[in-house]
Amino acid sequence: MRYSTFNKNPVNPLHEPMFFGNSVNVARYDQQKHAIFEKLIEKQISFFWRPEEVDVSRDRVDFQGLTESEKHIFISNLKYQTLLDSVQGRSPNIAFLPIVSIPELETWVETWSFFETIHSRSYTHILRNLFTDPSDVFEDIVINTEIQKRASDISKYYDDLIFYTQLWQTQGEGEWEVRGKKYTVNQRELKKRLFLCVNSVNALEAIRFYVSFACTFAFAERDLMEGNSKIIRLIARDENLHLVSTQQIINLWQYGKDDPEMQEIAEELREDARDIFMSAVAQEKEWAHYLFRNGSMIGLNEEILCQYVEYIANMRMEAIGFDAPFEQRSNPLPWMNKYLVSDNVQVAPQEAEITSYLVGQIDSEVSAEDLGDFEL
Amino acid sequence: MADTYKVTVNGQHHLTVDPSQPTTLLEVMEEAGLEPHYHCRDGFCGACRVQLVKGEVSYITDPLAFIRPGDCLACCCTPISDIEIQQ
Ligand code: FES
Ligand SMILES: [Fe+2]
Ligand SMILES: [Fe+2]
Repeated sequence: MRYSTFNKNPVNPLHEPMFFGNSVNVARYDQQKHAIFEKLIEKQISFFWRPEEVDVSRDRVDFQGLTESEKHIFISNLKYQTLLDSVQGRSPNIAFLPIVSIPELETWVETWSFFETIHSRSYTHILRNLFTDPSDVFEDIVINTEIQKRASDISKYYDDLIFYTQLWQTQGEGEWEVRGKKYTVNQRELKKRLFLCVNSVNALEAIRFYVSFACTFAFAERDLMEGNSKIIRLIARDENLHLVSTQQIINLWQYGKDDPEMQEIAEELREDARDIFMSAVAQEKEWAHYLFRNGSMIGLNEEILCQYVEYIANMRMEAIGFDAPFEQRSNPLPWMNKYLVSDNVQVAPQEAEITSYLVGQIDSEVSAEDLGDFEL
Repeated sequence: MADTYKVTVNGQHHLTVDPSQPTTLLEVMEEAGLEPHYHCRDGFCGACRVQLVKGEVSYITDPLAFIRPGDCLACCCTPISDIEIQQ
């Protein structure tokens, strides 16, 4: 089915499924099939921040003082996060926008992806401050084998969905041969790919960031790399919101609150979804191993980090209807929580200026006296 | 309205809530030294999810995390009856 950027058929989005219905025409939000996505948009926009607002200049001195193994941990994590956000800054748009069929979800996807681009820009902000020329770090991301292993697992479900969607858009349903390989394209196959893709994105945002978050906050616990830590706190807050959005989608399917065929597929592919999650857990543990191969850092080691991955994985898997697969029920890194609390609730004074978006407020507080010497 | 509500956690801890105080279920559990799970404390991450075995809660903040039947989000709700929870 050929994609149209403005579907001319009158459609009632209140009766459309989240995906693979009639494509969206009017971007309207006065009525919503799934109001949650509109709420997520509002929340996400209220979190708006700019990397440049966070002063990272002191980190440079801290960085010089780190041991070689700590530098390896710090830089490797930044590389991995750069990879994750490079993927997330484009893939939800490319994979989901052509097949989404309700306006509030379409706009959520765009809002979500936009924030991933803020994350990407923040890594440049951090690295530029640490290195006169950060090219080596960026260039290593595509050649480093440890990162590559993860990259292929992260992108393959997106790529598969995108490819099937393209076939469907250009050829329609049927059996197609592309460069000697046969593909069966029909609604069911497309929806299966969508299901796997959403589960893989869910696993990505549920646990893949947390090993590096833990390292960042472990440095911050020692009053090191605090500019970086402030940025990562903002990223972590956004990531929680992204995670909740894919949890919502998965649960809406499972509970039959959207497309009934997706409910069937959720049942049918339940084990595949679990496998996606479990292999993400295994990869994160391998990552922890790689990080600490030259030595650990104060406050963290491979074992405790792996326990934390299990702790987080239990929580995330229960949220989408799986039993907790691991024994680890208590939080092995209790200090993590204070970095993950949303600032709306707990605002330490020195952080207030960076986490809330104050531009509007500043403007409205300018009074006539402030402009006393100002002449036109 | 009852003077206080009873909160039973994992069948073994018995806490009381004063409904005239604006405390969340999460805070009640923390005050009792139970170390409940949380991240955002603002209803949008789902980390504070506990099973609501019995009783009812009402939400102080509109939660954004999906609440599966039989669960509640401790950071943004408060009991409106005696409740039993599992975490
Ligand atoms: S702590 Fe995040 S939803 Fe309750
Ligand atoms: Fe991100
Ligand atoms: Fe994200």
